Amino acid sequence: MTVLRVDEGRELALCAADDGRHETVEIALVAPVRPAQRLLVHAGTAIAHQAGQP
Amino acid sequence: VRFVDEFRDAELGRAVAGQILSLVEPGRHYKLMEVCGGHTHSIYKYGIDDLLPANVELVHGPGCPVCVIPMGRVDDGIAVAHQDGVIFTCFGDMMRVPGSDGSLLEAKAAGADIRMVYSPLDALRIAKQNPDREVVFFAIGFETTAPSTALTLKRARAEGVPNFSVMCSHVTIVPPLRALLESPDLRLDGFIGPGHVSTVVGARPFEFIPVDYGRPVVISGFEPLDILQGIEMILRQLAAGRCEVENQYKRVVPYEGNLRALEVMAEVFELRPYFEWRGLGFISHSGLKLTEAYAELDAEVRFSVPGIRVADPKACQCGEVLKGVIKPWECKVFGTACTPERPIGTCMVSSEGACAAYYNFGRFAREREVV
Repeated sequence: MTVLRVDEGRELALCAADDGRHETVEIALVAPVRPAQRLLVHAGTAIAHQAGQP
Repeated sequence: VRFVDEFRDAELGRAVAGQILSLVEPGRHYKLMEVCGGHTHSIYKYGIDDLLPANVELVHGPGCPVCVIPMGRVDDGIAVAHQDGVIFTCFGDMMRVPGSDGSLLEAKAAGADIRMVYSPLDALRIAKQNPDREVVFFAIGFETTAPSTALTLKRARAEGVPNFSVMCSHVTIVPPLRALLESPDLRLDGFIGPGHVSTVVGARPFEFIPVDYGRPVVISGFEPLDILQGIEMILRQLAAGRCEVENQYKRVVPYEGNLRALEVMAEVFELRPYFEWRGLGFISHSGLKLTEAYAELDAEVRFSVPGIRVADPKACQCGEVLKGVIKPWECKVFGTACTPERPIGTCMVSSEGACAAYYNFGRFAREREVV
């Protein structure tokens, strides 16, 4: 998923899936996170940074 | 390659398939296990096995989270869901897994308040919205989803949500692999290592496979080119007489894993002495439960859980499919009594289950072969 907006205080990020769906994602395990970065998300939690696509 | 269409490029795929062909010895049969259900899904969806030489066989492993949940555990979940005031939450796939007397979906139809969620955080939100109800999250999955449950439990405690608890059925990937390697009825030449589990645990936990059992492991991504390259790397090791853990999925998997995720899991979970796996029986130190520090959020402490043990239906051969002993289409009820619409076994439920993946994609290629 691609990061759109980050709420550092709550360790959450608004992310967009490849199909356009938006989802709020827990980012505590991969912070710091910046908009436009790609994350691997499982069960609502980002578990890894993705260096490239897909 | 960088973009998704390149990872699915047919020309590149054929080029890697050509390299694979050049690495295999005629007359030798290669059995490679893809550990993860996500790989099984991709292999059938993209017809990857059609690109392999006839003497390279892919065997499906135990890495589908839904498939390995035993019927008794589903019955336990249904028993909790039927208790007064409970809102029982679980992932969508879990709703259709058959227990001995129906699924969670059927229990919902019969009146239990069972809700599908996408993440444990959704379950926590439901708990905050319903302070007069007890909200239970049925946690399943390997080390990919366990960190999400662990973080949610930490949030629940930090935010003081007393009506939230977790029925933990998380499992770990290494013990079943060791059990399979010890199995006398399965000879494997190498492993396509689980890509997403490895983002959390890293590559190190798989080092025992080459060291103790002399089999190569290549951690691979999930796109067609990833899997083909993973197979090529295994065969290259075998051809060179090498045997080690390699990481094809470096763009996502660091060798040491996600240390923060491992720390959170270590704080919240501990290993059960043993846990029952569908088809594989009881495997020691393979399941997770909440630590003493999180006992107040443990649904198995808070509620009466019957701890039911149920044998699989005789017709269902999920156990043999999960161990890679038979292929999905060799099961007696595959595609007849057991279909994705009316599954008998767990392997026909989830998209990561070998039977469902084969039913949805692979059987057409086989039908073409038969014709």
